[in-house]
Amino acid sequence: MKKVFDTGNAAITEAAIIAGCQIYAGYPITPSTEIAENMSRRLPQAGGYYVQTEDELAGLYTCLGASLGGMKAMTSTSGPGYVLFSDPYGWGISSEIPVVIIDAQRVGPVSGITGAPGQGEFYLSRYPTHGGNYETIVLAPNSVQEAFDMTVRAFYLAERFRTPVTILADQLVTDGWESFEIPETADELKEKGLEIVERKVNCGPEFFPASDEIDIPPVVLGYNTGAACSDWTPTEEGYDIEDPVAHLKHSYRLVYKIRNHRELIDRHEAWFMEDDPEIVLVSYGSPSRVVTSAVKAARAQGIRAGAIRLQSLWPFQDQLFEKKTKYLVVELNFEGQLVREVQRATGENKDVHFYGKCGELPGVHELLQAMKEILSDQKITFEKFVSEAW
Amino acid sequence: MARTEVLISGFGGQGVVRIGQTLGLAAVLSDLHTTMLVSHGTETRGGYVRTQVVISDEQIDSPVIESPDYFCAMSNAAYQRFRHMMDQGTLIYDPGFVTPDDSLGCKQTAVPARNLSAEHFGKELFANMIMYGYIIRRLNGKISKEQAIEALKQRIPRSLEENIKAFELGYAL
Repeated sequence: MKKVFDTGNAAITEAAIIAGCQIYAGYPITPSTEIAENMSRRLPQAGGYYVQTEDELAGLYTCLGASLGGMKAMTSTSGPGYVLFSDPYGWGISSEIPVVIIDAQRVGPVSGITGAPGQGEFYLSRYPTHGGNYETIVLAPNSVQEAFDMTVRAFYLAERFRTPVTILADQLVTDGWESFEIPETADELKEKGLEIVERKVNCGPEFFPASDEIDIPPVVLGYNTGAACSDWTPTEEGYDIEDPVAHLKHSYRLVYKIRNHRELIDRHEAWFMEDDPEIVLVSYGSPSRVVTSAVKAARAQGIRAGAIRLQSLWPFQDQLFEKKTKYLVVELNFEGQLVREVQRATGENKDVHFYGKCGELPGVHELLQAMKEILSDQKITFEKFVSEAW
Repeated sequence: MARTEVLISGFGGQGVVRIGQTLGLAAVLSDLHTTMLVSHGTETRGGYVRTQVVISDEQIDSPVIESPDYFCAMSNAAYQRFRHMMDQGTLIYDPGFVTPDDSLGCKQTAVPARNLSAEHFGKELFANMIMYGYIIRRLNGKISKEQAIEALKQRIPRSLEENIKAFELGYAL
């Protein structure tokens, strides 16, 4: 393994190349600019193509076009660009076009704060386009090493499931510097639990079977005469049709190919969950790094705290929240997004609290104080705000 | 080596991030764990910049600096913004930008990096490597001088001679 000290953006670039990415198309934006910058240098060296498009819409469309041409493709952006993906994202989902999308979340809404972390696209990544009738696959790294690993995994999942896969990172992961390892041989990749799926070509006769089957090769235009891959509802043979029954079959496929293969997607980490914790901290992305420190500090003070960190966000892992206890959800937004999903997943056992920050991570001492307030049935206070109960 | 927190802040163009990158790489070359967070404004130059470097011989969970062992203030704005965090540790400031507040509880050390750079090189460009040299010295051998210079060579290949000279100036303070 090659050991490197660099940013999450650099790690994502190298991982994409190792995963076989042949084209990057996009529009640079802080805090993922260095992915575009690094790709413009590294992809041509690796025999691939870099295209700087006029905007994010064109970026994702170009990636989807290239993917339909048989290439593995990736784009990257931040929140202000992720909203522009809305239109092409739907086409990618419906026509089952593999592509990898990086969203380095920053503070919003709109341009917000560029060089500071946010977590505002949790729900947007579940519903990145209109119309419903689909599931999405979304992964969330909390370190530079994991940004590397998850990028390789995102390409793997995109190919097997034939769908866009989003990596929902944040500014601290993409702009943050850490040492990470790059596997240099097939054995080293395997050692890290990573796998690469080569692009295959669908030769029909069915391109969109009404089943939950995965590992169906993607459509590559020019290699077959069946699939139109337009933005209309397709028949199983890939022709356009406006018919509710055909649409139901297609919807079943888009939803259940993902729901019925959760074992390939679901990932999480848990700390101190074995001894019936009196409070469980829930997080994803960079806040989870502080949560780990806070839970260890709480244990040292005799508080039975545990933690769950989501490494895959969608489909949501309801089964992780069956334990009847108090939950404290820590996010980098002020209104609470993940907390709503945790509240739903805990069902009737609801005792869910929220600690949100804008633009910077909470400190260990803040989380310790919040835990103590919750355990003594007080409202959580932070800065001059009092958090309402969830 | 126990967890050591180094906070460096100034304005864009001073090479604040470059100090962090070089320090972080020097730690990696010394087989230590390190994390570095960077926050900045939209501007390339002139805006606010902060880098948080954590170095430890154990895996680092939280990369957030809550109690800096060293705070390097390269502008007055940075000094004013983070001085409240300094109830211990050492505050290293550049008197070319900062007038220190003597009421702070921590140790404060002046490193005239701006002036030294102007004096020795005719420009302020190398002030950051003077600061880097001084920080390495203050880390008391946790990172060797050799590894620190090796990191500098890898991270800043341009104007190497001047950068190493600047490093030596800071290291000798």
